Amino acid sequence: MALKSSAVLSSISRLLMLVGLCTSSLIIADAQRPPNVVLILADDLGFTDLASYGSEIQTPNLSALAKAGVSFSNYHTAANCAPSRAMLLTGVDSHRAGVPNIPETMPPEQAAHSHYAGTLGDNVVTVATLLQDAGYHTYMAGKWHLGQTPRQLPSRRGFERTLALGDSGADNWQHKTYLPIYDRANWYADGEQYQLPEEFYSSRFLVDKMIEFIDENQHDGAPFFAYLPFQAVHIPVQAPEEFIDRYVGVYDGGWHAIRDQRQQRAIELGVVPAETGMVEMASTTQWQALTPVQQAYEAKRMAVYGAMVEAMDHHIGRLVAHLKRLGEYQNTVFIFSSDNGAEAMGEAAQNSWLNRWALASQGYSVDYETLGLKGSFNAISPSFASAAASPLAYYKFYLGEGGMRVPMIIAGERVPVKDQFTAAFASVIDVAPTILAFTGLAPAPQRYGGRRVEPMIGRSLLPLVDGSADAVYGEDDAVGFELAGHGALFMGQHKIVLNRGTYGDGQWHLFNIVLDPGETNDLSVENPLLLQRMLARYQAYVKDNNILPIPDGYRHERQIVLNALQKRYADEILISLLLILILLPFALAYRARVKRRPE
Amino acid sequence: MKKILWVLVALAAMLFLTMGLRWLVAPEGVAAELGMPLLDGIGRSAQIGDMGSFFLALGLFIICALTTAKRVWYYPAIALLGLAALSRTIAWLFHGAPLVVDAIVPEILISLLLLFASTRLAEQD
Repeated sequence: MALKSSAVLSSISRLLMLVGLCTSSLIIADAQRPPNVVLILADDLGFTDLASYGSEIQTPNLSALAKAGVSFSNYHTAANCAPSRAMLLTGVDSHRAGVPNIPETMPPEQAAHSHYAGTLGDNVVTVATLLQDAGYHTYMAGKWHLGQTPRQLPSRRGFERTLALGDSGADNWQHKTYLPIYDRANWYADGEQYQLPEEFYSSRFLVDKMIEFIDENQHDGAPFFAYLPFQAVHIPVQAPEEFIDRYVGVYDGGWHAIRDQRQQRAIELGVVPAETGMVEMASTTQWQALTPVQQAYEAKRMAVYGAMVEAMDHHIGRLVAHLKRLGEYQNTVFIFSSDNGAEAMGEAAQNSWLNRWALASQGYSVDYETLGLKGSFNAISPSFASAAASPLAYYKFYLGEGGMRVPMIIAGERVPVKDQFTAAFASVIDVAPTILAFTGLAPAPQRYGGRRVEPMIGRSLLPLVDGSADAVYGEDDAVGFELAGHGALFMGQHKIVLNRGTYGDGQWHLFNIVLDPGETNDLSVENPLLLQRMLARYQAYVKDNNILPIPDGYRHERQIVLNALQKRYADEILISLLLILILLPFALAYRARVKRRPE
Repeated sequence: MKKILWVLVALAAMLFLTMGLRWLVAPEGVAAELGMPLLDGIGRSAQIGDMGSFFLALGLFIICALTTAKRVWYYPAIALLGLAALSRTIAWLFHGAPLVVDAIVPEILISLLLLFASTRLAEQD
């Protein structure tokens, strides 16, 4: 009986929300039906990896979207995959959503705490859930990485049809894991384990799936929400040969030249101010010090990267064209972004014998000729990652602008402002509220599904794309970020930042990121009062979000290895220890007996 | 010659001890390797208890033989392995099980190795 009552209440609630949706949509959308929303997420895409942001990589379809809307030049994410995705889908800080870091790099001291599980908590409601409640069809095809138990998969977090990768990444050509920390590549379709087809390339397949999902319900008149988180351009960096061929020779000048070239182009396009400076990361090596053979190899690694970005753009173009054919384009809002900045985990010497041996044990080759193709493993080194992030400093895993500041485009016929950049501060927690604003929906109430849920803290960016405001954050509004002990707080034009780890100095710095996005001029000495004020706000942010300290000496590169050993080889380690314990007394007894033996 | 024999016997002991420990720590994998699913309920208790103790006892007997150099410690290990090979053959002859040559042959060979070691490595009875 209770179940029946609950079902009736749920139906009434859905009906009321649908009525609410229709009513508010009338206000928002001039009596049109609620808009479809296509949320496209690239993986590890650098700040200037799109042509419209200054790249040499050809991305005509994303350039067309940029012309059809607003591009953000001061948009920030959490500098790491899963925390960004949690914030993107919920509008809640990653520390409150259960995903302060990815589980793969979480130290055990933090992982022991329930709010550091690294999986999306039950205390947050995804924007997909809210849209589904309102009568939307909700689809997802791509990387999830927010939990893999049946309750944590996207099919239980608001998505009606799903094709989801549960891991941090996977091979782009076949059903294969890219890291030995996983037993297998964990793909799921509608909540069940899924085997990829033999004929597979990630960007093409994900768009095919999304088109299939959209077509299934195209005639029932209900709007849809399509979440398309690509694998591109996450490790392993792989691309079809026809795309790679277009970039052979493009990177022969090296990473310094590309970083400079992108800086100039970004200035010309108005992405960054004319006086934007750059720092050279300590991880950047000297191109001229490489032999011609090494240079050719490095250039090929980056050529595959460029090809993978262009392939993604090509398949985005297929989706847009399909929506035009269906007559849905006019009624669709497109949001494109990246989960974090460029990834710099690629080995500096990818084709060293040691790396070759390690990758061969996983069935991968790093040969020049087949780089990026099926069976090959590729990643760009920190030096080219720095060029992908140009003119910014740092990259993924760090809270320098290169790790946090990524492209974002909001476009479509429903977006009144066309072909413009906005330098207004925006962050990943603003995306979900923006989608709700476009669709005329309200955030989740304090209690949802019988439990208390975290409120959205992001702000709608609608005023920036309808031209009604120049900013949605005031001079005194502070937005904090924390990732694995790195800290950052944005307030007005300023940012304080502390980076630890291999490339950080563990000190707080103060920058004006509007005038100096390259973080070249530390203002902490000349403006100590502002630094102290922002530090106080950061401490409040830490306290409010129950952020745990990071263990001394933590390095994400080392932790991922330790966690992998523990996860994959815990049984073997335990068995070995027990075996040693069993054998030890026998060994001692044997030694004693040998010593007692007469000569 | 004796050293090589000693090392071979020690490796066999390590193998059996590892198998026994795997039954205690991660039984699913070792069960699959031996061609069986990990059962539920009482069956699982019997599987882990009996199989674990079989392999651990086998390994411990051999280690005792090497450590003490007493021939008597080889005999239980030889008996266990020999009976395992015999029981597998009976399972094939009378109970419809396949003839698992891949398992029977190593069991016989290791039994013979232990028998040989008992005559060469043991110092006293």
